[in-house]
Amino acid sequence: MEYGTEIDTGRLIVTLSGILTFDDHEKFRSVVTVIADSDVDTVVVDLAALTMIDSAGIGMLLLANDRAGKQGKNLRLRGMSGHVAKVVEMSKLEQLIPID
Amino acid sequence: MSGHGIPCSGAETKTAGADERSRILIVDDLQSSRTLIGSVLSAAGFLRLDYAADGIEAIDRLYADPPDMVILDIVMPRMDGFEVCRKVREELRLDIPILIQTGVQEAEYRVMAFDAGASDIVSKPVNAGELVSRVRLHLERRRLMDSLQRYRRRMEEELLAARAMQQSLLMADDDVGAIVIPRGATMQTYHKTSNVLGGDLWQVFPVDEHRFGIFMIDLSGHGVSAAINAFRVHMLAGGMMTLRADPAGWLEALNLSLFQILPVEHFATAFYGVVEPRQGRLDYAAAGSPPPILLRDGGGWEALDGGGLILGCSQSARYPVRRAEIGSGDRLFVYSDALYENFDDPDRTFDTAELAERVELAVTDRALPFSDALLNALFGTSDCQLRDDLTWMLVEVNAP
Repeated sequence: MEYGTEIDTGRLIVTLSGILTFDDHEKFRSVVTVIADSDVDTVVVDLAALTMIDSAGIGMLLLANDRAGKQGKNLRLRGMSGHVAKVVEMSKLEQLIPID
Repeated sequence: MSGHGIPCSGAETKTAGADERSRILIVDDLQSSRTLIGSVLSAAGFLRLDYAADGIEAIDRLYADPPDMVILDIVMPRMDGFEVCRKVREELRLDIPILIQTGVQEAEYRVMAFDAGASDIVSKPVNAGELVSRVRLHLERRRLMDSLQRYRRRMEEELLAARAMQQSLLMADDDVGAIVIPRGATMQTYHKTSNVLGGDLWQVFPVDEHRFGIFMIDLSGHGVSAAINAFRVHMLAGGMMTLRADPAGWLEALNLSLFQILPVEHFATAFYGVVEPRQGRLDYAAAGSPPPILLRDGGGWEALDGGGLILGCSQSARYPVRRAEIGSGDRLFVYSDALYENFDDPDRTFDTAELAERVELAVTDRALPFSDALLNALFGTSDCQLRDDLTWMLVEVNAP
């Protein structure tokens, strides 16, 4: 997994790309830190360039959402396609994290 | 662990004791060299020194009672230092440090020493400070390696014990047969963990004299934490027997328990189905489970709806009961995601249709058992190394 961040009209956009799995725990910790340190109300996690995700990867999204929520930030997901879209749909993730 | 390898430090006398008790074999054909090295090491506090005057003598000593370290000359009569190195590594299979002392400076010669199995090289004539530092360094490294190896062995033993415990949670074929056969069905199951311990669990329960329940759960992640959570689910399931006729109640109760015990980033996907072969009926509920596949007796298949909020994330999750017809000769295939997801080679990830076609071919394969045929069709081998836990259940209804 690779990630990039940018501020767009007051929102933090986090772009994840590649494959998000168990092996990305360390790297994802920096993503959570970036989200926690950002001075915004809304965090958009863009998954358009993410090609696959495993259960640990879904867990990381839940963790990021939890941390953001505890700081009063809204976290949203967008752009899922292919395998990622299927997993998100199957697990009804939209009941836990808003999806644009 | 402090103080080692720092000669002349104040804490030396107290902390360096473990190294000074080490036994060191000094091999050199020159009496004067042996004496020099011996006196340097004695002065540094190493008192358990032994000597050999050539390679043959050294090998005899090493066979009889291996020391903790060898200081070795290269050019000696009868057997040279290279040969001693090779024998220590290849015949005696010892990984003790071997410090080679040589007056030859050519790089090639040094490479030969390392190729033969030397741990390090010091120049001749020996510099006392350098020799003592290197001896200490290698003894310390060796001690750390030993303790790491011991730690690793103990972890491996404990993981194997835990794996055996986990395997014992899974029901034996005969016990499954005793439940499903009188109720008009047969069942095959498969379970393989990825890295010794896994987070998959399946169970079969009698519901009443006509019905049985099948339960499959995949705890997120893998390894120790997933396995501990699988143990917890096994315990929880034992206390939920009054719900076994009710797929929705089963998953909702399990969801609430997992919501309380799992950290926010952990969850589970699950399937619970109640099969009633004589009525040709399957009632089921699912929580983000890969779509179960119904293979029809006359050929063809359909995917059931495995969708549902993953377990352990929300107190208010509800799991509707869905119904499917399952007649005589039909088969129900429930499986974990490791069967079709391929993270090493995403292009080899199968969609439900591709998977169903392969399952259909595997159940009709006359030459191979179902599990081998399916693994061959999906992974090209029946002996595959998986990065995630793989579990499946195949139920065949044969009630008239």
